[in-house]
Amino acid sequence: MGAFLAKRLLGVLPVIFGVSIVIFLLVQLAPGDTATVLLGPQATEAAKEELRRALGLDQPLAVQYFQWLGRVVTGDFGTSIATQIPVLDLVLPRFINTLILTAASLLLAVVLGYGIGLVTALRASTLFDRIATSGMLMAGSAPPFWLGLVLVLVFAIDLGWFPVSGMEDFAGDGGTIDLLHHLVLPAITTALGPAAIIARIVRSGILDALGKAHVRVARSKGLRHRDLLKRHVILNALPPIVTITGLQLGYLLGGALLTEVVFAWPGLGSLLYDSITARDLPVLQAATLLIALAFVLANIAVDAINAMLDPRLREI
Amino acid sequence: MTRYKLAGCLALAMAAVGFNAAGIGAAHAAGTLIWGMPAETDILDPHATGGWSTYQITYQIFEGLVKEDLTDATAGTPALVPGLAKSWTISDDGLVYTFSLREGVKFHDGTPFDAEAVKFNFERFWDESSPNFYPKAKAFVIAYTKWIKSVEVVDPMTVKITLTAPNYQWLRQGLQSYGQPLMISPASVKEYGNDGVAAHPVGTGPFKFVERDQGVKTVIENNPDYWGTKALLDKVIFRPLQDPATRVNALESGEIQMMSPPWDEIERLVGEGFVLTTNENVPFINYIHLNFNFPPMQDIRVRQAINMAIDREGIAKEIYAGTARAEYGMLSPGTDAYDPNFKSYGYDPEGAKKLLADAGYADGLKMVFEIPQYGTGEIVETWIQRDLAKVGIDLELRKYEWVTYLGKWAGGMTPDIAMNEIGWGMSTPAWIGIVARCDTIAPNGQNSGAYCNEKVDALLDEAIITADPKAAAALYQQANRIIMDDAAFVPVVDDMQPMMLAPNVKGFVNPPEDWFDLSIVSIE
Repeated sequence: MGAFLAKRLLGVLPVIFGVSIVIFLLVQLAPGDTATVLLGPQATEAAKEELRRALGLDQPLAVQYFQWLGRVVTGDFGTSIATQIPVLDLVLPRFINTLILTAASLLLAVVLGYGIGLVTALRASTLFDRIATSGMLMAGSAPPFWLGLVLVLVFAIDLGWFPVSGMEDFAGDGGTIDLLHHLVLPAITTALGPAAIIARIVRSGILDALGKAHVRVARSKGLRHRDLLKRHVILNALPPIVTITGLQLGYLLGGALLTEVVFAWPGLGSLLYDSITARDLPVLQAATLLIALAFVLANIAVDAINAMLDPRLREI
Repeated sequence: MTRYKLAGCLALAMAAVGFNAAGIGAAHAAGTLIWGMPAETDILDPHATGGWSTYQITYQIFEGLVKEDLTDATAGTPALVPGLAKSWTISDDGLVYTFSLREGVKFHDGTPFDAEAVKFNFERFWDESSPNFYPKAKAFVIAYTKWIKSVEVVDPMTVKITLTAPNYQWLRQGLQSYGQPLMISPASVKEYGNDGVAAHPVGTGPFKFVERDQGVKTVIENNPDYWGTKALLDKVIFRPLQDPATRVNALESGEIQMMSPPWDEIERLVGEGFVLTTNENVPFINYIHLNFNFPPMQDIRVRQAINMAIDREGIAKEIYAGTARAEYGMLSPGTDAYDPNFKSYGYDPEGAKKLLADAGYADGLKMVFEIPQYGTGEIVETWIQRDLAKVGIDLELRKYEWVTYLGKWAGGMTPDIAMNEIGWGMSTPAWIGIVARCDTIAPNGQNSGAYCNEKVDALLDEAIITADPKAAAALYQQANRIIMDDAAFVPVVDDMQPMMLAPNVKGFVNPPEDWFDLSIVSIE
């Protein structure tokens, strides 16, 4: 297992390196000029030229990139061009906020997806199955920005149960309860889409496993229903389900960025938007690297879980 | 059965969280105003940034030698009143400004404000030979500093500034320049460095900076040692809330007390008891630059036809829900030269068609209109596209993300582009020169459509050295008349700056300016 993990972790480096190059080049492709953004429309050409020199933007692209890489390797992500705040001070708290939302959504998506998937599989073709399956399909098809607004209208404005926006009550004392209270609606908004997909996969996986010959044999031998499910059905159905769940993490991260706009959740979404608008390359690079890193690590975690479930996978 | 229990527990836990925290969130600290802003503002260094949304914060923290009186909603133009200078004189030749400074004023860090502090600030944004010089500041305050010849400390409470040429709009230009020459604590700049002012703004204003969580909130609090009338609020929290629907929801749920409303929600919110304020004399207009390098646009009949084809009254009424007014000239309503009765080209699609036919375009004309992407569906631009289609102009809207757009606009239009647009202006009528003079044709200035009429330049040159405000206003009006006779631009509307307030916000004044004096506001 150790060698398996080491091999997977080594694979992270080229991926991150590739992502950093792509982001760097993408920003260069976009028209518009950092100096004009920073100095405003009335700045003289001489002032803009001086700023480009000061920021090193007059250097060839390759030089700019390797200078940046050299600093990053030593842990120095530089200073945000637009806000003059050290990049990590700006990006890390926002990244953690996005992770809080993503983690809560993942938990919710897993609980809902696995729960509903299992129940509908065990009661396949009943009325409950039909209602639950179509309900999940509808909820899962709703775009997060729309769903978020509807949830706010019902649960925040009409019923007043939850706050409309942000991560904290500015007039209150904050704390964990306050955070959880603010987390409920954004987490539901982000989670429903992935939950619906997971539920469908779980349902079909379990149904498939239930129909397998070894399950029929075990059942005919009089194995208790609970043991049958645990040992022969769920365990066999899990690997593809875990893989799909891991893939949903990417969707959850992306969905969280959209949800953040609707709920003014102070995560990476609005920071990314602001840094693209300001051509704030150091911030953009750091933020996208963190997202890429989170995504790659999550996939390694999925691989590791699958390897634990199915020893055959450890040899790949 | 276990799985059902689990789902039940989760629902109960969520409901419990809901009820608990609802109790905590209900009470508001007395005297805290939370303002939901449409975007995160720029850095809080008034010398080194531009843009009205940032001044909405920095205006509360910093002050200049001269201030605008923003407590009078009925003024056509804000009166210039003493700020950190208690008085000033202008020499007869218009070259020397002598400021007598206010005594006993302290910056928020406790250091005294005096003539040396003024000199330090001018060195920062103007004097390239000084070790305190900050190039970024100069780039922003350029409209103000380009007139300065020297800055002298006469005595600890007197400063003399000499200009290179007379300019009777100079004080107003200082309040409207893209960056503002407000007074920053020299001790704080020395401690945190020129770049550090962004995160450590220390001024003399009625509010002190407390903290900023980028993208989440900026907090300022009452300055109990303020030299003038002290602010009523304990605290103001500025919250960036990008999504208009989120801002509306936050206002309705009581999470914020103030915001600029989306047009289509105004009527409903007023119906619910929220208070709408507007000002008719805002110092900016939304207008179109016509490109004189686009060959068909060199024919005045084409420019006139475009002006006549657009139904401005319809845009103001239907799209802005009455919070905008049709505009026919290029002088902003917030200037003292504005004439509300000025008319140029009224809505006349038949006349426009005839002019286009006379110009040889009876079979139609294709044009490109460069616009920024606002994320609101570009509804005004689509309206203009439809209006022009009615007179035979096939208008292609070419949208760009804001930064890209700004670069294109500031660089000047290429000959294949017919027009672009912006909302801009200042409370000094001298602004018109920035967008309409021959020597400000882009990229040397912001005359993006390359309009040039030497008569206009001569009038503007004369106006700026005219001491009598009425005589100067008459000259600016003449320049405006020529510009519109040339049909060089298409003024569209004056956006009346709607602000929506919760009913418990008292004393708010929506002045003829893009930012507000929050020291007079209270929460009941």
